[in-house]
Amino acid sequence: MVSRKKKIRNTVNIFILLSPWIASFLTFKLYPILFSFYLSFTRYNPIRGRPPRFVGLRNYHHLFSDPTFAIALKNTVLFVVITVPITTAISLLIASVLVSSLNIRGKQIFQSGYFMPVVTSMVVIATIFSYLYSPNGYLTALIKFFGADLKYGRGILADPRYALPAIMAMDIWASFGYYTILFLAGLQSIDRQIYEAAAIDGAKGFYLFRKITLPLVSPMLLFVLVINTIRSFQIFIEVYVMTQGGPLRATTTVVYYLYETGFHKMKMGYAAAMSYVLFLIILSFTIVQKLLVRYQR
Amino acid sequence: MVIRKDWRYRTKQFIAYTLLIFVLTTTLFPLYIMFATSVKPEGNILPTWDSLIPKKVTLRNYVDVWKSANFDRYFLNSVIVTFSVTFLNIILDSMVAYALSRKGFKGSNLVLLVIIATMMIPAQVLMIPLFILIKKIGFYNTYWALILPFSVQGFGIFLMKQYFDGLPKSLDEAAMIDGAGDFKILFKVLFPISKPAIAVLGINTFLTTWNSFVYPLIFTNTDNMRTLPIGIAYFNTIHGIDYVHLMAGSSIATIPVIAVFLAFQKQIISGLTRGAVKE
Repeated sequence: MVSRKKKIRNTVNIFILLSPWIASFLTFKLYPILFSFYLSFTRYNPIRGRPPRFVGLRNYHHLFSDPTFAIALKNTVLFVVITVPITTAISLLIASVLVSSLNIRGKQIFQSGYFMPVVTSMVVIATIFSYLYSPNGYLTALIKFFGADLKYGRGILADPRYALPAIMAMDIWASFGYYTILFLAGLQSIDRQIYEAAAIDGAKGFYLFRKITLPLVSPMLLFVLVINTIRSFQIFIEVYVMTQGGPLRATTTVVYYLYETGFHKMKMGYAAAMSYVLFLIILSFTIVQKLLVRYQR
Repeated sequence: MVIRKDWRYRTKQFIAYTLLIFVLTTTLFPLYIMFATSVKPEGNILPTWDSLIPKKVTLRNYVDVWKSANFDRYFLNSVIVTFSVTFLNIILDSMVAYALSRKGFKGSNLVLLVIIATMMIPAQVLMIPLFILIKKIGFYNTYWALILPFSVQGFGIFLMKQYFDGLPKSLDEAAMIDGAGDFKILFKVLFPISKPAIAVLGINTFLTTWNSFVYPLIFTNTDNMRTLPIGIAYFNTIHGIDYVHLMAGSSIATIPVIAVFLAFQKQIISGLTRGAVKE
């Protein structure tokens, strides 16, 4: 029999054990989200010292006629639809080669090497590439060699035509190792016997890949697509460090514009509205991707 | 499976190695350039074959950024923040995980569900309101702002709960008969046998906190509160073309994570793939 005292003691213990999470959830998650939702219907500049002023849907309305937001959205969507498929394809290809029947030696070395940029700070990566892309950089020399008509003395990042693709290339470089590791985990969990059975039936090469590997790895593929899309929609650090959104807004992304609006122009209400719109866009992209992969199966 | 080592197999193998080695070289080249440039004497940074390997090696740039560009302070801040956040996550995440795994209370499923839901909130939705909150409660530009909001995290709670679920309940029951309370069971019985999970949690928290950028950027405004990533970004905006020093500063921020990565690869990869494989 459990005494009443013990029962109370037990309830108190549960509460104490959970209290760090309860406190952190209420203070740093729930309150900010609700407050931000409220803010998105107000005009608020913290420097002026006045409380937020309710303006109804004006922020959202304004957002749809804001030309800079349109550019930022275009750049961000371009970034997502170009980098996500390329990164996914490269990492799936490399993971497939590493686990293939070709008996690759030194798997561990390749795996560690590819993963190195993933543990490196994005600020450091952006700094290194700022150098490589500068007028004195190796990559600038390389693309000039391949015929890019950069103006004398200018680097890749100073050219509005090349700046965004340059950041995309860097992002692919920095992140494919992570997805390679995920695909490796997914591929290694596929039973080798399935391949052997298929090989006996005469299946091989790309047919084997399309009919067996792809369906079996598709849960991982979905996971990779979703997290990579979410991450890519939020691209910010690269832009902050390398270009500050320039030249001529060529690299302004939604989160960078959000940061600029909130923390430089101090329009916090407008920035909050922007964050909610971006959240809805990310959410709908994720749902569409989920449906697509399900439909394919 | 019988593998015929004929010329077709050999050709395929050759193509595979060429691809893997090409990608590996491409991956390591920028990191190599960082270290190589950081030890060059000033002024020798043109993109020629000749300058690919530094002829003279000097640690002068490291001394410069450490002493005169305040990197010693950035490093100290990064260490303080990273170790505090990591330590707090190990203790606090385990407490919550213990309650969810062992206490079978009403509503524990709801708590779990809410934790999952909050893990999916994109950071940019929280940027503005967290900044306002941190200012309001007086944490702005203090260590508190860089530590407290990140001291309990869903990832760690999940990881520890999963691990605790796999440990036999007879252990706690035996300890309970000996008169041990919940905290004693958690920290004296379960903790010593949960080292693998604690390692995964600790190392992954270390890496994400060490590299964290957005929140330290918006929660601090004086030079002596900056962590390494913020320090590098500022150095970049002020001395944008001083590459030898920039690369020395970047190396200072990178050497610890590369060392941790090489030492604990298994735990890092296991932490990153855990959520994914479960899907």
